[in-house]
Amino acid sequence: MSVPATPRKPSHAASVAATPATSRAANAHVVQASPHYQTTRRHSLYGTEDRVVIDPGSRVWKVGFSGEGRPRDVFSVGSLWGLRRAAEATERDEEDRVLEARLQAYLRDVFHDSLLTDPKSRKVIIVEHPLLPLYVKEMLAKILFGNLQAPSISFASSHLLALLSVGRITGLVLDCGNLESTVLPIFASRPLYPQLRTTPLAGARFTAHLCALLLLFGTYLPPPTSLSAAANIPVATRSMRVPQEVLTEAVLEEIKTRCSFVGEPLDPSSDMRVMSPSGGDDSMEIDLPPSDTAPSESDFSRVSADLESNVESQPASSGFSIVSRSQIAPERPTRGEGHLQALASMYTRHSTATDLHIKVVPPVAQQAGTGKGTLIIPGWIRERAAEVLFEGGDVDESSVAETVLDSLLKVPVDLRKTLASSILVIGGTAMLPGFIPRLHAELLRAIASSPSSAARPPMRPDRPRPPAYDRYAVLRPLVPHFAILNNPSPPAQPTGARGSANAGKAPAFTPAAMAWVGGSLAGSLKTGGAEVPREKWDEAEAQQDPDDSANFNIDLTHHATPNVIPDWTRSPLPIGAPPANPPPPIPEASPRAAVGA
Amino acid sequence: MAPSIDYHCPCLASSPAPPPPHLPSSSYSFHPLHELFFCEECDAVRCNRCVSVEVSGYYCPNCLFEVPSASVRAEKNRCARNCFMCPNCRNTLSVVPSDPPDMDDGRGSTAALNAVGEPPFFLYCNHCRWDSAEVDITFEKPTGLAAQLQKHEDSAPDSLEFERLKEHFEPFLRASSSSALAGPTPASHSHHAHVNPITAAASSALARDIPGVAKYAPHPRGRRDKGPRDEMSEYRSRVEVGGTSAMGEADVDFMRRIEEESEVAAVEQRWANSWATSLRTSDLKPLRIPLHSKKSKRCPTCRHILIKPEQKAQSVRFKIKLVAANYLPSMTVALPRPLDIVRRGARPPADDPSGTPGLHAGSTYPFQIALTNPLYDPIQVRLSVQRQIPPAVSAAAAAAATEGGATEKSRRPPFAVSLPSSAFPIAAFAEAWEYEDDEDMFGVDGDEFGLESRDGRETQGKAKSKTVGVLEKRANVTIVGGEVVIGKDARGEVKFNMLVSYTYRSDDALPEDEVRGTPSRTSKAPEMKTFSFSTAVNLGPVVPREENRMDTD
Repeated sequence: MSVPATPRKPSHAASVAATPATSRAANAHVVQASPHYQTTRRHSLYGTEDRVVIDPGSRVWKVGFSGEGRPRDVFSVGSLWGLRRAAEATERDEEDRVLEARLQAYLRDVFHDSLLTDPKSRKVIIVEHPLLPLYVKEMLAKILFGNLQAPSISFASSHLLALLSVGRITGLVLDCGNLESTVLPIFASRPLYPQLRTTPLAGARFTAHLCALLLLFGTYLPPPTSLSAAANIPVATRSMRVPQEVLTEAVLEEIKTRCSFVGEPLDPSSDMRVMSPSGGDDSMEIDLPPSDTAPSESDFSRVSADLESNVESQPASSGFSIVSRSQIAPERPTRGEGHLQALASMYTRHSTATDLHIKVVPPVAQQAGTGKGTLIIPGWIRERAAEVLFEGGDVDESSVAETVLDSLLKVPVDLRKTLASSILVIGGTAMLPGFIPRLHAELLRAIASSPSSAARPPMRPDRPRPPAYDRYAVLRPLVPHFAILNNPSPPAQPTGARGSANAGKAPAFTPAAMAWVGGSLAGSLKTGGAEVPREKWDEAEAQQDPDDSANFNIDLTHHATPNVIPDWTRSPLPIGAPPANPPPPIPEASPRAAVGA
Repeated sequence: MAPSIDYHCPCLASSPAPPPPHLPSSSYSFHPLHELFFCEECDAVRCNRCVSVEVSGYYCPNCLFEVPSASVRAEKNRCARNCFMCPNCRNTLSVVPSDPPDMDDGRGSTAALNAVGEPPFFLYCNHCRWDSAEVDITFEKPTGLAAQLQKHEDSAPDSLEFERLKEHFEPFLRASSSSALAGPTPASHSHHAHVNPITAAASSALARDIPGVAKYAPHPRGRRDKGPRDEMSEYRSRVEVGGTSAMGEADVDFMRRIEEESEVAAVEQRWANSWATSLRTSDLKPLRIPLHSKKSKRCPTCRHILIKPEQKAQSVRFKIKLVAANYLPSMTVALPRPLDIVRRGARPPADDPSGTPGLHAGSTYPFQIALTNPLYDPIQVRLSVQRQIPPAVSAAAAAAATEGGATEKSRRPPFAVSLPSSAFPIAAFAEAWEYEDDEDMFGVDGDEFGLESRDGRETQGKAKSKTVGVLEKRANVTIVGGEVVIGKDARGEVKFNMLVSYTYRSDDALPEDEVRGTPSRTSKAPEMKTFSFSTAVNLGPVVPREENRMDTD
């Protein structure tokens, strides 16, 4: 509760008090036991015109009624779909069947357990991520119309709804979710879908990276074999490398949500990042030959490094292979080991975050001891695990900041200034403390620094060196205008900066809930995306049935339903915009189907 | 895992044939018998995945107060009385008075104490010792706590901000929708009853004044000219995120310094907040207990009620209860473990903690199925193993990883099941006192089941070891034996589909049954009917050959 905020702004509070909501609240407990009923004026007694707003993510669902300021229920659904589907048809069918059964169970739970309402009398708003895979969308519609008999479904773009929740209809929205970070420019409530940019650097990648770092640099203390042993054996001798089994999904999720945060960028980071282990002052300590420390001692030394801070630990090459998969050092695979160590020591020196001890269930093979084991998370991992989201340079997986800039590059020039000054960051990964200020810093850094010379094409001897490709040069004049609407700690304003005055002006809804709040708002304003009534669905189903019986082809159903469910990938292009090459009237459809969301 | 039998409900599949049981998706189609319903009208099994659910009453699980549906919505499905949950451990909180004032005057506590205790009351968790005074929540009186808390909730920043947002958007939408309605014909707009922001913005953009271009539609009323409609006024937040203490550098700083993970609230405790709140565990507020509902369930096709609970929250009875256990014979499967079964010299390995040794690849096991007849009439039951019709479907995902030969083999289940092929009777259900003597209830001797299973091919099964066939009959229970032969390189679980058909006499005991037309009539007597259903029998995991034994645990 932001109670401190209310007394700070007496003028606002006074003006709001004029609304029926709060004047009622004043005498609420006198009148009735159900006072905050009247906070929303339009409700009928049973509120059947309130719609059900569902924000179905691949990991977390938020559900509730429109017209309310917060979701009624938020729950985790494991991980429902991923970025890829099985290649083989039979396997994919099986995957789809499992997914459909799980979706059905969750949707039924939404109505019957979370909301306790009758699905037949409630219109539904689905908060739709623009890259929500079509097959998932169709499944949702099929279950809602078929199994639950919902009267109508509206699909509304999550990015647009999030903008509504901050009182705007124009802005550049970054959704940093679990599977993907997606940037979508929206102007005057029109999402500019062709300018959508996405990167897989998001929550799931963060988790994978966290896991890899912990395997390499974390420490595990198995439970003492007997209760008396706990006092006798020093901690250092018990400590060992983190077994993979300890890092279950639940433990990682816990570390991610309760222990992690995002530190500000390191000042000399640009040269630190590419610093080779053999150069710079860091090398003095890390260039110890690996043979110095015997493998048996390495575990010991890693722990005591915290205490004595001089003994160097030795990374295991096996651990490295895991890390390299998670792209910590893609540019230097050969000397990655030393590089990793350099990174670690650099982060350790710059991080003041405390090390954390958390209790974990020991792996099955080692359950001889008493009680739980202890996992020691170095403070710098808590602070720097999120670096993976901001490591740019990869063409296919640009950093989150680069994705924002890429999208900005694609929008029409006239809109760039407006959009750059109204960036909105939503999504669960953006809930990491410090994420948004860091993103702001990264945006400026990415613009300021042209790509490193390594990205340049090799120079030919007979030609003069071509000018360096400066990707974001055109955006550089916009730097004073960059503003993240929901930046909780907006940078100090240089006087007279116009656009960046927007920073931090959004209401303090959490990034994760903004899309849902916008859906609730749209529902209470009687708007929302295109609505599909059940009759239309039933009609389409009825037409489709004879086809189905004629040739028993499941793929046919995928082609028969599309016209009912609106989707931006299927909308015809405007006449004035000829496609570059003939086939792609739906150019986004194929990447979308492949990439999924 | 103990052997089990689950019953099939065809609601998920398009075809009536049950899915092959080894597919992971098939587990969603099979349910334990006690979870199933039976619709008499449709003569079909219904499960919790297909019935349509209606709420027939709300109550608080803690105080068992029946909440009228009118106030359920207003209270956001939460108990509006004195029921609160601990934010840390979800235990029910109790209201406790403060300590009595100091007894400095030496008169003792008796006079100072009143009946309910001293006024600042607070909520206290008996499990984790959390109390609401930590977050500055105290109460004047020990009753009506929710109403006392209400004023805090009404002024919650998220709902106030939400109202403000609505007021911000409403004029904009009204203006754009009215200008849309001023278009050519009202009829053409009737299907645009819900003007979405896109159309709203588009229409107002079209209606914008462009210098030098005449307006395309004359505005009938002047009030719409009072401002640019496509340009929204700037929204000024009630509470700006930049001004709040939460989520900013303070949070980063706090995170940097935490000593214990438990200082930070778990994400589950925070994520229902749509408003930026503190990360700290110590700032968590007590939660109101969510209501539960009593649900009545209907058949999805014929809308008949399958189950309907009594209204009162305290009652656990049902007004209408059409559960499948009253219609279908209930079945349990067991693997008997006589000592002489251990044919292979190896002792059953002790790796199974449950004490039931696994099924070993390459051996033969008998199993027993006990069928209990819930009907008041004797029934004739026929069991048969359902083979998987399209073998191509059964290409298991795991098998695809191995080499080609293995995939060939995995197409067919690596075990063979034999069941008694002839129909066998199960006596009618009767109350215990209706049995006159003990034999009826407790015993049939060997001769009798020998007589029963004499016909047909059953003789050869009996001759073998008497494991396949009817083993025992007593009261309304019949135990039949089957046998499973497990292949040498089998792995996974021994799971197969079994089709159960039973014939019963639909006489006056079940008069409604005459109406329905679905079941096929048998030729024996005109009033005999047959009902069939599928089950999935899971006999448990196969313990593979020695080389793989280590990685099974």
